[in-house]
Amino acid sequence: MRSFRRFLRERPAVIGSSFVLLLVLIAIFGPILDTTDPNVVVHSLIGFPQPPSAAHWFGTDLIGRDIFVRSLYGARVSLMVGAAAMVVSFTIGILYGAIAGASGGIVDNLMMRFVDAMLSFPTFFLLLIISALTNKFSLTIIILIIGLTSWPGLARLVRAEVLSLRERDFVEAARALGASPARLILRHLIPNALAPVVVAAAFAIGDNILAESSLSFFGLGVQPPSPSWGNMLQDALTPQAEAAPWMVLVPGLAIVITVLAFSVIADGIRVALDTSIGQETGDELDVEPAPYAAAPATAT
Amino acid sequence: MTSFIVRRVLGAIPLLLFISIVTYAMMALAPGGPAAVLGPRGQGLSPEAILRINQAYGLDKPWYVQYFFWLKQLLFHGSLGTSYVDNRPVIEKVFEKLPVTIEMVGLALILTLIIAIPIGIYAGAHRGSFFDNASSTIGFIFYGMPVFWLAIILIELFAVEFRWFPSSGVSSLGRENDVLDRLWHLVLPVVAIALASFVSWMRYQRSSIIEAMSSGYIRTARSKGLSERDVLVHHAFRNALLPIVTLLGLSLPQLVGGAYFVEYVFSIPGIGYLTFSSIFSRDYPTLMAITMLTAVLIVAGNLLADITYAIVDPRIRYA
Repeated sequence: MRSFRRFLRERPAVIGSSFVLLLVLIAIFGPILDTTDPNVVVHSLIGFPQPPSAAHWFGTDLIGRDIFVRSLYGARVSLMVGAAAMVVSFTIGILYGAIAGASGGIVDNLMMRFVDAMLSFPTFFLLLIISALTNKFSLTIIILIIGLTSWPGLARLVRAEVLSLRERDFVEAARALGASPARLILRHLIPNALAPVVVAAAFAIGDNILAESSLSFFGLGVQPPSPSWGNMLQDALTPQAEAAPWMVLVPGLAIVITVLAFSVIADGIRVALDTSIGQETGDELDVEPAPYAAAPATAT
Repeated sequence: MTSFIVRRVLGAIPLLLFISIVTYAMMALAPGGPAAVLGPRGQGLSPEAILRINQAYGLDKPWYVQYFFWLKQLLFHGSLGTSYVDNRPVIEKVFEKLPVTIEMVGLALILTLIIAIPIGIYAGAHRGSFFDNASSTIGFIFYGMPVFWLAIILIELFAVEFRWFPSSGVSSLGRENDVLDRLWHLVLPVVAIALASFVSWMRYQRSSIIEAMSSGYIRTARSKGLSERDVLVHHAFRNALLPIVTLLGLSLPQLVGGAYFVEYVFSIPGIGYLTFSSIFSRDYPTLMAITMLTAVLIVAGNLLADITYAIVDPRIRYA
């Protein structure tokens, strides 16, 4: 509870959470309240996107569809992919890292070698190749592809955390009491390694949203006519869209603000969960880039 | 040191083998194939034609047979094969596209460092100040900005609206050898990459300055009565640059694969462009070459980072 109160004192984090909450509500109820079909042509001047107006808040796109309504559906896609892919990668990453860290010795060595190898693939390259080759673009597949390619960094984090926990007295005590390896991992090691994991989870949702919109932008993610912030930006690349800045601004800002919201939430959780880091040395946790990624994957 | 390098290079061999096997398996096991994407759009070739093509290229064999053939070619003939698309040696295709990408990403890296290092140092040295908070906030905003969106915005503003810079390509027609013209074309792509990647460098520099400022030698320098300025410039700054040197090594692979999005948006014929076209035409040999080149650079970059770190920081010893 103390951490929760500390979280509430982080103003950016509170604003970020409110925004995400609002977005979640919009994603769930928006399409119910505004029953316009996102693919219906509300304006008949095809090729002449209309600027924002009272009838169409964010204007219309090239073939006269309402951008506001499409953005709502885009929020659905983004949040769902972001969260679900995070669950996939964190389930694998946490278990993998905990097992490696708890086993030690040659098992640990082999398992981490595999992680090294995974991290030697350029992330986005991997993402591109897999999704292009699979050539199936259902939401489930997109979630699986993003989730299955983004766990190795987390496995490393969890392993390091478990390694430092392994030598602690309470783990020693549990082992002395005859706890099985599975119990040791699930009941003692993982719960105590969770603080940095929760922070990483909030960042991961943002990263996954970026990954999804990047794939969709390239036509390798959510397929038109289904709207996604990424493929709406693809429409904005056409020359006719040059006179219609709202086509670029709306989906782009949606991505930027959402990812920003998840970043400040992660930052707030970090401060709330770890006083020593928050007060003594500033905020070093998030700045440590993954050893193999000098820049965020999205910058590539 | 020498034995450390030798061990690391030897250790990289199984890693590279692993990467090549996984990539090959992934490509070969994926539905469809080089022959399936040929023929009229939406129609494709007849099953017999696909079979003939597959036989001609050995694509009817199991993937591991194909892979061993690829590996044999590489080890015994030093050849990465010829492209399925135009039958040219793959190496030639890759090296033809490489200079543009290296030029663009290299310039972007320089610009990134020019932006990121001073801001990071100043913010770290004045932690909690208005400047620090402002740069952190701006950093968060840029962190969530997709580079392709940034690129589109730059085009809309500076190419379409103001008409200061060209919106695509690497040179004007008939001026292919004009250096100034090339640079002029590269301004927007380079700025887009730099804006999208300066954040992590800035944050890294900031935290490394903060860490340096809290070390014992800084306390010593201060207790000698040095001015805060002297402490920062002569003691903290040099030590805080070390992690950046490491990071430079780690960003080596980006020189090849660092710019898919930007190349796509600005229609720049570099490695990113080659990757896309090879993915869509299922050109396995070209894709393998790009993957291996990137993987080698990643491994080399890591090694380089460790070595430079040992050179610039005498406290580090590799047995």
